[in-house]
Amino acid sequence: MKNKLVNILVPLVSILLAFVIGCVIMAALGANPFVALQSLFIGAFGSARNIGTTLARSTPLIFTGLCACFAYRCGVFNLGGEGQFIIGSIVCCFVATQSGIEGLPAILLCLALGALAGGLWAAIPGLLKIYRGQNEMIISIMLNYVATLLMGVVYTNWLRDGTVPQTAAVPDATKLSRLFGLRVTTAFVIALAAGLLIYYFLFHTSKGFQLRAVGLNMTAARFNGFAVKKYILMSFIVSGAIAGLGGSAELMGTQYRLINGFAAGYGFDGVAMALIGQLHPLATILVAIFFAVLRVGSTTMQAATGVPTSVSDIIQALVIVFTVAGLAMVKLPQFKAAVARMFSKKEAA
Amino acid sequence: MEEFLRMEHVSKRFGDFYANKDINLTVNKGEVLTLLGENGAGKSTLMNVLIGLYQPTEGSIYLNGQKVRIDSPAQAVKLGIGMVHQHFMLVEAMTVFENIILGDRNARGVFIDREARKKEILELSARYGLDVELDKPITEIAVGAQQRVEILKALYRGAELLILDEPSAALTDIEVEGLFKIMRKLTEEGKSVIFISHKMREVLHISDRITILRAGEVVTTLKREETDGQALANLMIGRELTPSQYEKAEQAGDPVIELRGVDFQKTSKHNGLNGVSLTVGRGEIVGIAGVDGNGQSQLAQVVTGVLTPDAGSVDMKGSRVAQFTPNGFILENVSHIPEDRNKMGLIGEMSVKDNIVLKSTGTPEFSSGGGFILKKKAIRGYALKMQEKYDIRCASIEQEARNLSGGNQQKVILARELENNPDLLVAVHPTRGLDIGATRFIHDTMIEARDRGCGVLLVSADFDEILEVSDRIIVMFEGQVMGVYPGKNPPIEEISLAMAGK
Repeated sequence: MKNKLVNILVPLVSILLAFVIGCVIMAALGANPFVALQSLFIGAFGSARNIGTTLARSTPLIFTGLCACFAYRCGVFNLGGEGQFIIGSIVCCFVATQSGIEGLPAILLCLALGALAGGLWAAIPGLLKIYRGQNEMIISIMLNYVATLLMGVVYTNWLRDGTVPQTAAVPDATKLSRLFGLRVTTAFVIALAAGLLIYYFLFHTSKGFQLRAVGLNMTAARFNGFAVKKYILMSFIVSGAIAGLGGSAELMGTQYRLINGFAAGYGFDGVAMALIGQLHPLATILVAIFFAVLRVGSTTMQAATGVPTSVSDIIQALVIVFTVAGLAMVKLPQFKAAVARMFSKKEAA
Repeated sequence: MEEFLRMEHVSKRFGDFYANKDINLTVNKGEVLTLLGENGAGKSTLMNVLIGLYQPTEGSIYLNGQKVRIDSPAQAVKLGIGMVHQHFMLVEAMTVFENIILGDRNARGVFIDREARKKEILELSARYGLDVELDKPITEIAVGAQQRVEILKALYRGAELLILDEPSAALTDIEVEGLFKIMRKLTEEGKSVIFISHKMREVLHISDRITILRAGEVVTTLKREETDGQALANLMIGRELTPSQYEKAEQAGDPVIELRGVDFQKTSKHNGLNGVSLTVGRGEIVGIAGVDGNGQSQLAQVVTGVLTPDAGSVDMKGSRVAQFTPNGFILENVSHIPEDRNKMGLIGEMSVKDNIVLKSTGTPEFSSGGGFILKKKAIRGYALKMQEKYDIRCASIEQEARNLSGGNQQKVILARELENNPDLLVAVHPTRGLDIGATRFIHDTMIEARDRGCGVLLVSADFDEILEVSDRIIVMFEGQVMGVYPGKNPPIEEISLAMAGK
């Protein structure tokens, strides 16, 4: 119980601290921090349109966040979310623009193949780790570059549309439909569904239970008869599939074409979301939405008060730093002792 | 002979527990003093006091007749006390030379005069026959050479007294010979050596005097000429046979597991098995006695499917085991209380409840739809029942397992491993670190399992425990079976000699 409380308190306090420091910076820039923050939140929530934009912005972050979260739960580090996301979107782009299929069948096919492609891409570091003992973090990061450059070939050569280095747009019939006429699409619904499914799997099924056991103590899991290697490989594949699904959904829902900078940064953003969300899939979704708020709102803030959007970037970075540091701090024996002293004093009084 | 070190009435207390009590000990210049004792006899604590890692609770230490306070390892070095730990403290990526000068507090100036230093080191190494290649990185030299680097390091910092903690543990026989030559050379030059070992042969070979520790106290100090292996073993074990409170089973049932000629990394004396053959039958407890690190862990892991033997055969209930996987053995109804409960037995960050059902969440009792829907209520109900039956004391079954006391953690494992009436129970140090009550409970549970017809393989470094519950006793030394003895009226002297490798 106390643990759960700490798990929620640390990110909240971190966010608060990050905002306090953000305010100091804004004041130093000569702006009124309260006005600036107000415009930030209006930009993110002020109207149905703004909310729609925020949720649309959060969608890819949710996918990469869930991707990182799932692998971490099995005790392995998939830092290749971005590459898997891109591979998913490349496959989606081929199917959507080249196969001649359109509409719902094309959408379903794109989602399925995008997920499959992401999963296979993620299987590479998984297999190398299991059979060759390679470090999965390094391999998965390197594969991000491979995927990014591959995408470059796709939009500059293979599927280049005219003179501009970008692919043709997904046909209108294959675009994901918008919700209530806002920017947010069914991709967001798919992301939420994926989060719920992962949550159910991890906490309400026997396999999910065993996967968490593997993640928390691989040696004990092995001694207790779990096929540790199988779980590791499976977690990589599923984790990559989530990212690939996200790439597919992002292409059909928001960006429509592959272009330089597609998905840039989403992979590591996802890792941060998962860490701040304490590897809980539902919390990860909330964190992703929160980051989308900061990103969407900061544009309005800049327009209204002249505070540059980079202040919002600083706040985001501080949230990550504080949360990671905070979680490490509460695990320190000295910290635990201090808390215990505080509690015992209260009881004495 | 002139005295170098004297410890007077030194005690070290942790809470209510005396790790060392009223220790008196002297080391003369130019002699090898051996500290002999079982695991947990207090040798390491005493040495940690000497090198400044622990402060003694009482007593005083004299060097060259002067009373000294050793409040840090740096202070110990300054006073001329050097220690070579069993696990070497070397930076593997650095060269031998860099390791030797690393952390030398007498550094002169900012820059290192490599040539001058090298000359000093080479002089030392020639003087004591410590043959090392200064420019090779540690990773590229043999274990014996690494040890010479450790010794050289200590000497370079001016050690007059060298503590060698089980120095022969990792060495080959030839390397041990080399080590002994070096020790002789050191004592010839007037240096003193404290030698820690379990191995009777080596102890009798190299020591000038032998101090025997038992349960934190000095039993006696003997000159080598005054004693022999048998006498030392008796003093070290120091037991009269106390009748066991359990009825010993005299006849075992059908064999549950049978090992024939099992090898596992057999050239490794301390982590290997060399031609091990043994049988555990239904309804008997076979106790594996021996000093820690003579292949017992590997034995336990072979008979639970964690390790695959290099050679030999394992028969389980009459049929040959083809594939060694933990799950295969679990399906054969083998239960395992592993040696390290936190690392191997429990998922510390999961709850008591989750740990109790760890292996069985896929069964119809705890989930439906082929594991797709966990029956949380059933799991909870079962865990509560187990909590009561096995007397697991915790605030709630939702508490994280790592926050439980050792005894209660072990009971969680017992509840998981014994509730399905195993055919074979492999228990490794099941009561290590537990209090008397919990120990008693675990012994009772093992006896009950035996009486139900379960075969039990008990590995323990605690000789009392082996004597208390075993129906048969097997002694292991350097990966080999030294002998099989009856559990009823066991020949203690013979067993203790076998444990020391004779």
